[in-house]
Amino acid sequence: MDEATKQRLWGADHALDAPFVRGFLVALVAILVLVPVVIWVMRVAGKSTPEHQGELWARYRSWLIFIPLMVGPILLGAAWTIAAVALMSLLCYREFARATGMFRHPPISSLVVLGILAVTASVADHWYGLFVAITPLQIGVIAAVAIGADQPKGYIQRVALGMFAFLLFGICFGHLAYFANDSNFRSMLIWLVLCVELNDIFAYTVGKTLGKRKLAPNTSPNKTLAGAIGALVLTTAVAAALGALVFAGTPVAAPLRLIVLGLIVSVTGQLGDLALSSIKRDLGIKDWATTFPGHGGLLDRFNSLLFAAPAVFHYLGYIQGVGLNQAPRIFTGS
Amino acid sequence: MDEWEYKPAQDLGLRGSERLRSVKRESGLLGRIGQHLWWWWVRSALRLTERIEIIGQDNLPASVPFVMVANHSSHLDVLVLATALPARLRNHVFPLAAGDTFFETPVMAAFATGMMNALPMWRKNCGHHAIDTLRQRLLNEPSGYTLFPEGTRSRTGQLASFRHGIGMLVAGTSVPVVPCHLQGTFDAMPPGSKWPRRSRIVLRLGTPAVFASVPNDRSGWQAVARTLEESVRALGSPGA
Repeated sequence: MDEATKQRLWGADHALDAPFVRGFLVALVAILVLVPVVIWVMRVAGKSTPEHQGELWARYRSWLIFIPLMVGPILLGAAWTIAAVALMSLLCYREFARATGMFRHPPISSLVVLGILAVTASVADHWYGLFVAITPLQIGVIAAVAIGADQPKGYIQRVALGMFAFLLFGICFGHLAYFANDSNFRSMLIWLVLCVELNDIFAYTVGKTLGKRKLAPNTSPNKTLAGAIGALVLTTAVAAALGALVFAGTPVAAPLRLIVLGLIVSVTGQLGDLALSSIKRDLGIKDWATTFPGHGGLLDRFNSLLFAAPAVFHYLGYIQGVGLNQAPRIFTGS
Repeated sequence: MDEWEYKPAQDLGLRGSERLRSVKRESGLLGRIGQHLWWWWVRSALRLTERIEIIGQDNLPASVPFVMVANHSSHLDVLVLATALPARLRNHVFPLAAGDTFFETPVMAAFATGMMNALPMWRKNCGHHAIDTLRQRLLNEPSGYTLFPEGTRSRTGQLASFRHGIGMLVAGTSVPVVPCHLQGTFDAMPPGSKWPRRSRIVLRLGTPAVFASVPNDRSGWQAVARTLEESVRALGSPGA
């Protein structure tokens, strides 16, 4: 293992090398200090009811837990980042399995978990060939193991749900982890997660202030057309502007390419949210779980990353590649 | 092709200790693995320390739902009953354990659910509702129960009379009830002792009884309790 790889995996002392990361942390701390002041001012000014106050505080406390869990591993190093994404994938799959009833089929459920672990191993090894190979192999394995029970009734549902879950939580989230194989992963991941979260916030606030026409009332009754368009415009602008800092000096740092990148983040972020809402509606549940007050389950928070991560990964891959300047097959290569 | 059917976990939306105390609890992959490891350990430990003989294993139904009822005089009882269960049934058979003893503190509840796969039975002010939820689970989910209808451990080793709660679970249903008799667990580990002594334990499983034609009311419940008490007593004195 060469020195650059070791630094990337465990070199926490280089966490603050990138100016974008430093700027982000300063802004983050400033916001986290300001929010309680704003909530307090709203109370003093009589702008919010006690219930509203309670909800705001619950959300704020949840963010205080979320943010270190999300940002901490990225700052610590690529190894921590990959492990944290793997843990998030497994916990999100757990929520999915309990909501769909997949957890009642231990063989298939175990295969999804093994698939997520295999993806994690290929990402940690920086072995793109294996990362790609797992999907076609997994469909064969799941289809084969599902025969084992010799109960054709419900076969399609078991296999399809198993593969759907694996693609969502193994492959889609696996792309998020794969960013950690780039030397610039700290800036890229913070940028991506930040833009996707801002996309949610923009859609919510624009929708609340300007929204009239519903976007898809049966799927997600609170989303409005104005919110979706507002998020598209604002997120594209912010993602492109911040992207100019993150990707400075690389081929993607051209105005048109940055704008397309921003559009991809906003559209795929909103689609991930809507797709997971559709699944919840189909199942007849409101939240995936009750892990975090004001947020629901982990999946309620991270749904917007599902499609954004692979889309951004492959757009960057098309233009300039991700992780090409880092040694491949760290553990398995000779 | 059949319609797709999604069935979320029955305990979805319950948090932490609330979920552990719920009779709707359903365990996932981690829970199953934990329970299998625990039971493997218990089985090995029991084989080392006690000599266990199981008579009438064929009387155990091949699949849930069913209820196993037994005499109760030792903490070993629930473990010995579980050794009669094949591995594929283990996650679906739940010992009903006293809520006020085994589910009072979160640590105890985590042990009772995570290791023993127990469901709480609230003895005080439990009333109809708690037992009815257990009855519904037995009828609608793939579940089986093991329980001790005496309601508590016998302090003398002698069989006490069965309470009618067992009747409230199964009267008027086609769920088979397997009468079981445990002999030797009182000598091995009577109430008050901390560690089991080595001794011979015999678990006898009787012919399953079905109470489909028994009315689901107080007289029916009492009839069920009496019938099962006699079956267990008869199993305990095979020569008579």
